[in-house]
Amino acid sequence: MIRVALAGNPNCGKTSIFNALTGAHQHVANYPGVTVEKRTGVCELDGEPAEITDLPGTYSLSSYSPDEQVAEQELATRPDVVVMVADSTQLQRNLVLLVQILQTGANPVLCLNMADEAQAAGQKIDLPQMRRLLGFPVVETVGHRGRGIGDLRGAIAWAAGHPVVRHKVVLGAELEGALAAIRTQLPRAAATLGEDWTATRLLVEDAEHTRRIAGLAEGAAAIAEANRQRVRLETVTGRAIPVFVAERAFGFVDGLLREVRTLPPRVDARQLTDHLDTFLVHPLLGLPMFGLVMYTIFWLTFAVGEVPMGWIEAGVKGLAGAASSLWPSGSDSILRSLVVDGVIGGVGAVIAFLPNILLLFLGLAFLEDTGYMARAAFLTDKLMHRFGLHGKSFIPMLSGFGCSVPGIMATRTLENERDRLVTMLVLPLMSCGARLPIWLLLIPAFFAPAWRAPMLWLIYTVGIALALLLALLLRRTLLRGDDAPFVMELPPYRLPTPQSLVIKMMARATLYLRKAGTTILAISILLWAATSFPKRATYSDPGTSATPAEVEALHASEDLEYSVAGRIGRGLEPVFKPLGFDWKIVTAMIGAFAAKEVFVAQMGIVYSIGDSGGGAEGLRAQLARDYSPLVGFSLMLFLLIATPCMATVVVTRKESGRWRWALLQLGGLTAIAYVLSFVVYQLGRLVG
Amino acid sequence: MQVTNSSTAQMSSPLEDYLETIYLLVQEHGFARVKDIARARDVKPATVSLALRKLAEGELVNYERREYIGLTQKGEAAARRILTRHRLLSRFFEEILLMPAGAAGEQACAMEHCLTDVAMDRMVRFFEFLGNCPTAIAAFHRCPLGTRADACATCSSRTDLGSRTLADLKPGQRAVVTQINATGALRQRLLDMGILPETPVELERSGLGGEPLWIRCQGARLALRRTEAATIRLREAAP
Repeated sequence: MIRVALAGNPNCGKTSIFNALTGAHQHVANYPGVTVEKRTGVCELDGEPAEITDLPGTYSLSSYSPDEQVAEQELATRPDVVVMVADSTQLQRNLVLLVQILQTGANPVLCLNMADEAQAAGQKIDLPQMRRLLGFPVVETVGHRGRGIGDLRGAIAWAAGHPVVRHKVVLGAELEGALAAIRTQLPRAAATLGEDWTATRLLVEDAEHTRRIAGLAEGAAAIAEANRQRVRLETVTGRAIPVFVAERAFGFVDGLLREVRTLPPRVDARQLTDHLDTFLVHPLLGLPMFGLVMYTIFWLTFAVGEVPMGWIEAGVKGLAGAASSLWPSGSDSILRSLVVDGVIGGVGAVIAFLPNILLLFLGLAFLEDTGYMARAAFLTDKLMHRFGLHGKSFIPMLSGFGCSVPGIMATRTLENERDRLVTMLVLPLMSCGARLPIWLLLIPAFFAPAWRAPMLWLIYTVGIALALLLALLLRRTLLRGDDAPFVMELPPYRLPTPQSLVIKMMARATLYLRKAGTTILAISILLWAATSFPKRATYSDPGTSATPAEVEALHASEDLEYSVAGRIGRGLEPVFKPLGFDWKIVTAMIGAFAAKEVFVAQMGIVYSIGDSGGGAEGLRAQLARDYSPLVGFSLMLFLLIATPCMATVVVTRKESGRWRWALLQLGGLTAIAYVLSFVVYQLGRLVG
Repeated sequence: MQVTNSSTAQMSSPLEDYLETIYLLVQEHGFARVKDIARARDVKPATVSLALRKLAEGELVNYERREYIGLTQKGEAAARRILTRHRLLSRFFEEILLMPAGAAGEQACAMEHCLTDVAMDRMVRFFEFLGNCPTAIAAFHRCPLGTRADACATCSSRTDLGSRTLADLKPGQRAVVTQINATGALRQRLLDMGILPETPVELERSGLGGEPLWIRCQGARLALRRTEAATIRLREAAP
């Protein structure tokens, strides 16, 4: 098995090369400990099986971002061949990463991707000359059209059998002398990442490497030598060492390109991208246009998604019906209840959102692949930055109005861990689609028609305002630290291929379904048990005038009160009394933790009306009779802010990598909800 | 008196003044007499004779009664050293600190004796720097003395110190990077993006309200915030 790693800058078309090499045989997972995705796939190279790992796209191997650390660690495992994918239209900057990869002692193949674009711009590369100068295979490809992939396979197979012994990077006498002096002091065990690379990192005072070498026996000598060389070079060159090292690397690439580039790309031609940008990021039109784009995507997500959602719900219902018909009618079998109410009901409710999630991610993948996403971050950065967030936080937060789960998953586009955490933690405050049924039930129950639309607007606004304020608070307290640099490349606009969109979308779907089948299944069963047990042996007398439906409803209500959930509701009633909630509301809120819309169904059960669908009017009337509008408002505030649903908590745990953040989100938001509802309810009562 | 040079090691500052005066008189007239010296230094001839005797003991002057006074080779070197200091210091007080010529000369006379050679050497370099960098001294002269520290903070980020940064460019303007003052992750990021000394950059546009900036560098389009752009120093692009 040949082990191959794909490295390259972001936006160099690495993923299309990966897809072209591996086809559908790929596997998406997370790197352990970090939230960067690891994609591996298998393919055949000249009859030999190969495992291809797609490294995260990085501009360099310096260990400043998790992406870069992962890429470096993966190279430290010594793959048989490292394919460096470069964007042919940006060779100058792309090849600097090649210099670093060569320094690690990797066995390289250079893949000049997007060759068609570069040729269209007038660039010509002398490939044989480049191979001769570099001493390893160089091929030209057009990844998304599959051109040159055969050559690439051949080159990888050849390289696997002909490892490069010594790289031919020339960095100038001064720097090379310094590196050589450090190399001689390096302990033997230090060389997993190549002596040259390790020496370079020590020279630029990289914290990670310095710590690693300091931990080795005789490491101190190498560090001392690096310090000596650094002072010497800084005096001689008058530059900070990282700047000097970068200059030398760029200098090498410059020299190489002068030798191999027979025709440079035309620089004068204003490209299509520039024309598009003059109005897509127009100072005045840019934001409204962005709003329109996002609106279209959300409209597609919900309007179009509703149709297959209906099919899935019907399917789940049918499945539940079929499953329950396995038991004799009217059976009280616990197993039946578990399968029908717990498993099919719980997991089914989550799977019903699959079409929405697929569509949203299709839309986001489209924005990402065309290059518009970077423009969106450019347009919104100023606003977001004011609240300690990042321009790239905007789209995940906007997705949160649909559902927090894909929103939190979409925070992956944020490179900085702190920015990601803040965005993730406050994201549930965006009033998600599952909360909409709650507002639709409660607002008409408590407010006059004229006040209904403003109330709905108020709820959404309170959520947004709180999210921004909390983000600011988090950045000033728990997640304090310097702003992550907002230095972002704005790639040229490109038309995405359907294949890459589908692959991206399916990767999300797989992750989502796998979660539905494991964590959510388990929690559904738990919640089902809590609302079903223990069973009541006897029921109170419904009276002689009761219809059979009323009797059943009464039994359901008494069952609930007797169950664990009901008892918890009763037990917690004193806690929630100051907010205006009684035990029935508390019980329904426990259900809402499973999924927010369950609150509506649960209130229905509590009020013995059975399915809330047909009886919303009756339920509203009863709510209006039992509770004041003040309780209604306090309740809405609480449901908006408190306890993100379990899917959110689980996905936060998964994406942040720590339970502690998920629990902070759960506990923090609930506490804030409690305090706010408390204040509103008590003040409201004082005022009257 | 702290001069390390052995020939003047025992010389006091009045003696140095005499040496200087003799040197100047010899330069002007080709000779020096006791009464000329006494007039130039505004003292009695007897005092001058006393001083001359001491200088002759140190083999700095050729002094015989009733004859013209000349400097020995050693004396001439010592006198030239002192005079150089005097001229540098008086130029410093006059041209840089903007004191009137007379007061500047007096101040120079008072200070020229107590500088060590090392300190003098450093001062020479500093004066040379100020002479070669007109923008630095111009900024100092424009700055009203006694400026508050908070006013300094706003001034140092402006263009008039010869420190134009990427944040000062207007849309459509080009310049060349001279220096990157960022550190850590930001510096690495900028370098990765190809922002290096001697690279041309162009500001294409900025977002609503001037933030963030959209620049073009080595064929790539980059977005960055103003605070980050302010770490990148520029010079004019060649026309």
